[in-house]
Amino acid sequence: MAETAEITVNTLNFYYSGTIHALKNISLPVYKHSVTALIGPSGCGKTTLLRCFNRMHDLYPNNRYEGEILLGKENILDNATDLITLRSRIGMVFQKPTPFPMSIFDNIAYGLKLKGITNRAVQSGRVEKALHDAHLWAEVKDKLKSSAYELSGGQQQRLVIARALAVDPEILLFDEPTSALDPLSTAKIEELIELLRKQITIIIVTHNMQQAARISDWTGFLMLGELIEFDRTDKIFTTPSQKLTEDYVTGRFG
Amino acid sequence: MTREQIRKAEGAAALTLSTLSALLGLFWLVFILGDVLVQGLQALTPTLFLNDPAPAGAEGGGLRHAFVGQLLITFFASLIGVPVGVLGGTFLAEYARGRRIARIISILSDIVVSVPSIVIGTFVYAVLVKPVGHFNGWAGAVALAIIMIPVVLRTTEDMLSLVPWELREAAFALGAPYYKVIIQVVYRGAATGILTGILLSIARVAGETAPLLFTSFNNSFFSVDMSHPIASLTATIFQYATGPYKTWHAQAWAASFVITVFILLLTILGRLIIRWRYK
Repeated sequence: MAETAEITVNTLNFYYSGTIHALKNISLPVYKHSVTALIGPSGCGKTTLLRCFNRMHDLYPNNRYEGEILLGKENILDNATDLITLRSRIGMVFQKPTPFPMSIFDNIAYGLKLKGITNRAVQSGRVEKALHDAHLWAEVKDKLKSSAYELSGGQQQRLVIARALAVDPEILLFDEPTSALDPLSTAKIEELIELLRKQITIIIVTHNMQQAARISDWTGFLMLGELIEFDRTDKIFTTPSQKLTEDYVTGRFG
Repeated sequence: MTREQIRKAEGAAALTLSTLSALLGLFWLVFILGDVLVQGLQALTPTLFLNDPAPAGAEGGGLRHAFVGQLLITFFASLIGVPVGVLGGTFLAEYARGRRIARIISILSDIVVSVPSIVIGTFVYAVLVKPVGHFNGWAGAVALAIIMIPVVLRTTEDMLSLVPWELREAAFALGAPYYKVIIQVVYRGAATGILTGILLSIARVAGETAPLLFTSFNNSFFSVDMSHPIASLTATIFQYATGPYKTWHAQAWAASFVITVFILLLTILGRLIIRWRYK
């Protein structure tokens, strides 16, 4: 089938604190409504790459990008990019659940308020829809007013996903979203990603190779800041073209 | 003695010494608080709060002037000290996080916390009393505010630093600008800690006497005019306790009791908030 690239990364280089060359000449496409997994040993740059897509690195001084990341026709690495708009188009879910110190409802409504949606009825509708989409509605519908900290870790992570979904992002970035969760919660998040890909594009960083194999359509394998191989997931895990990839996915190192 | 016996003897000695030290400290604490309680309660009457001082030595007067003056000075001190402290702490923990300037200011405010309060009193005297030509309530409020600021600033900084960085990143990732991240997410996470710091800093300045002697001085009459000398409880306690009249002594005890209870209540409230938050 014909795939359209939603994001195109062209010879991306990234430097931490001006000197540490963390990403080297990365080029890859991210296809629309697919799940792209980034795998590789610790310190290979997969999270660094993920955090380029929503310019998280801009929060810290002296980080520098070179090359381009095209979202549509627009290079998001351009200085003129409005980061607030960019981040509402490209959502992110972190490794540890990050509920805000407020009620479940207010957590989900937070992004809506940032977008200027203050009408209570509209908010309620969007909050309910986001919680449905994140498969959390049944568990929290009677306690929307209670603190988000009362939820379990797995529920908190789905809450955070709902929070990201509420603002209708085109792309969701997942940074090892299940590494702090138990197997049951992990399974729920994976099911969720499986459903979400029908509406949005997903990029996921994972340490868990079975997870990458289970849920992704495309896989990029990184090592020491370089993209060693990018291909369809089944190809990466069965007949990779690079020896390094084969060694990694078969567990010979990493 | 065997090695085990020596070890046990050492343990017993350490236990005895530390228990005795604790008892010694506790003895004076109970003595002081008990004395203030017993003596203070005897003189505690409604007239103490409702009446202004009677002519020196006469019966039936109260300390309304000092209570009101103390409240005014403390209120205005908080009005200046709390916002400056909270915003300063926010600057250190958020905007200047990790920069050298933040470290320098932190260290400087730690130094100011331990500067004797009388030094701050003389400083404010030079800046706000001498040029005006007379003691005034504003100078007292400013002196107390200067004592409050470093306390509130450091508490705020510490409490904000305790809020996990990931929480800020998560808010940024939703497209929030930094000031909204601070106000809507970080302050919420640190609210109880900051509130406790504010309460404790008010408790800290409510008992100050030395800086007030140089600034708001004292006043034997009821006054709410902050631009003139104004009475405070602590300065009044000093005046009455060292004065020649029995009624003054009794009222000094009562005032000591009231101010001790006030500070105690603030401290307890601060602790309750912490406990309620971290339960």
